[in-house]
Amino acid sequence: MDAEAQESFREFVANRSPALLKTAVLLSGGDRHAGEDLLQNALIKAVGRWHRIDEPEAYVRQILYRQQISRWRLKRRGRELSVAEPPEPGADGDAASADAELRLLMRGALARLTARQRTVLVLRYFEDLPEAEVARILGCSVGTVRSTTHRSLARLRALAPELRSLGRSETEAGRQPSGDYSPVEVRS
Amino acid sequence: MNVDELVRDALREQAAELTAPGPGFADRVLAVRRRRRVRGLVSGAAAMAAVVAVAVGVPLLDTGKEDVRPASVLDGSGVSAHPDQSPPRDAIAAGRSVLAAYYTAEPVVRSGDRGVLTRTYWLLDPETGTYRKDDRWSFVAVAPGARTAAVLERTLPARRIGILDLASGHVDRWITVDRGVGGLAYSRDGSRLVATTYDEHPDLLRRAESSSGDVAWVLLFGGESSRSGFYVLDVADGRGDWSPVADRQDINGRQDFAFSRDGRLVYSQVVGGKDGLQQFHDLDGNTVPAPANERHLRSDVSARLSPDGKLAALGLTAEAKDTSWSEIRDPYTGEEVARVRGAQLLAWVDDRRLIAWERAPGSEEYRPRLVLVTIGSEKVVPLSGVREPGEVFETVEWEPVFVERRS
Repeated sequence: MDAEAQESFREFVANRSPALLKTAVLLSGGDRHAGEDLLQNALIKAVGRWHRIDEPEAYVRQILYRQQISRWRLKRRGRELSVAEPPEPGADGDAASADAELRLLMRGALARLTARQRTVLVLRYFEDLPEAEVARILGCSVGTVRSTTHRSLARLRALAPELRSLGRSETEAGRQPSGDYSPVEVRS
Repeated sequence: MNVDELVRDALREQAAELTAPGPGFADRVLAVRRRRRVRGLVSGAAAMAAVVAVAVGVPLLDTGKEDVRPASVLDGSGVSAHPDQSPPRDAIAAGRSVLAAYYTAEPVVRSGDRGVLTRTYWLLDPETGTYRKDDRWSFVAVAPGARTAAVLERTLPARRIGILDLASGHVDRWITVDRGVGGLAYSRDGSRLVATTYDEHPDLLRRAESSSGDVAWVLLFGGESSRSGFYVLDVADGRGDWSPVADRQDINGRQDFAFSRDGRLVYSQVVGGKDGLQQFHDLDGNTVPAPANERHLRSDVSARLSPDGKLAALGLTAEAKDTSWSEIRDPYTGEEVARVRGAQLLAWVDDRRLIAWERAPGSEEYRPRLVLVTIGSEKVVPLSGVREPGEVFETVEWEPVFVERRS
């Protein structure tokens, strides 16, 4: 790697590592050290091909997601992380604090998913990627993405009984028709 | 609030709390890399070649259940359904489409750091009407009519293409080529083959190792495809020309070409901001715009145009409990003209019916089965049993290959 490439790499890391680290930490179930480790390894792999990569961010992200696959291969259950316990609900807690508690509960539940389940949810709900794009990135079928998403949301409910009071998601229950979904006659 | 909304909010809140890595992060990465520069460090990453089944969709039929006898599976126009079978043992067909083959795929390790995603085909025996495992082939394209198939032997890229008689199981003749071929597709009339050439096995897997020592086998992606071009070969005499195609970053390791509707162009999938993008080439390999009747199609929806060419099958557009709908568009304007049941449209049965993957009811999971769907009707006729989602990520559960059956 020549000096120019190193400079370009440093610039990329300075600009993009904050965003990339967020994804890496979320993929790691909220464990910052594991996230930094994940990102560091992805960047090391990218450095080796730096002069041949047209879109470094896309490349690094793909490595991040793929590394997660390698993790879930041998550690199907993943290691469980300790997460902050949600505070006891206050006697007269308002709606905002109730929502905050739910989010904290959700974090804890997310950390206890398998890496595979968490990766699919991060790609679908944090990165907002369509199912087919998730399937392409992870090298699986759209059907596998769908079934993994369903299983993961169901698992979250099982992990945190408090979440059972929530409405069923569109993914779980199907979209509530906001309009008329009945088939339209073909115009001849 | 729904569970997925809470997942989204929780992830975003967590991300917002994270501070950036320290100032020396890039230097730390470079230093660790210098220390680790040993062979075997894998430049990880990959994405699966979206498997585009070579499906020549086509027309006709109604209701399910009225199983036809095996002998008429290829030339009949009725429905042959086996909702109790997954993968199917007996022929599945409807109207002008027949499930001529299906395949599975699983990673096979070849050496220390290389492996191959290896397919195994089950081919429809036109005499018995049953699917028969034939593990001689790494790739099979069934010709319209489902009586012959073009096959590639186990070692890819292959220097010869077999024309297999599906009834006898024998290769009638071989077409030899100078450049290695990894994928095949027939023209709509069955007279020509487009054979995609690769310098390496198109389904190559690379050993990826995480920092903790875990190992995975991953397919090559963007910029790592060895695709070099394609032959267009006359099936009758085996003659044809090879055309080079420029390297590009936005394709998977395997990115096979297929003929356009009129056979004057070829196209393949490209990976971009939207699903199912496609790039057309003329038969000299130059990139060209999509033909007027195919520019709204998606490379990942194999049904493509209806037999009469008036309708275009597109992707999933709406879902409700136990139910999916896909779009039918005007191929020229791109305007939606109908929604039809089905999560993934695979092949046309006639000008108003299709075979699709559709979710089986009664489960939160997406558990698809082959069904017959009709434009203008909510009726869904199961054709196969449910394809249960697999546990191993790279493994491809049975993947259908539909072709036109002919009288």
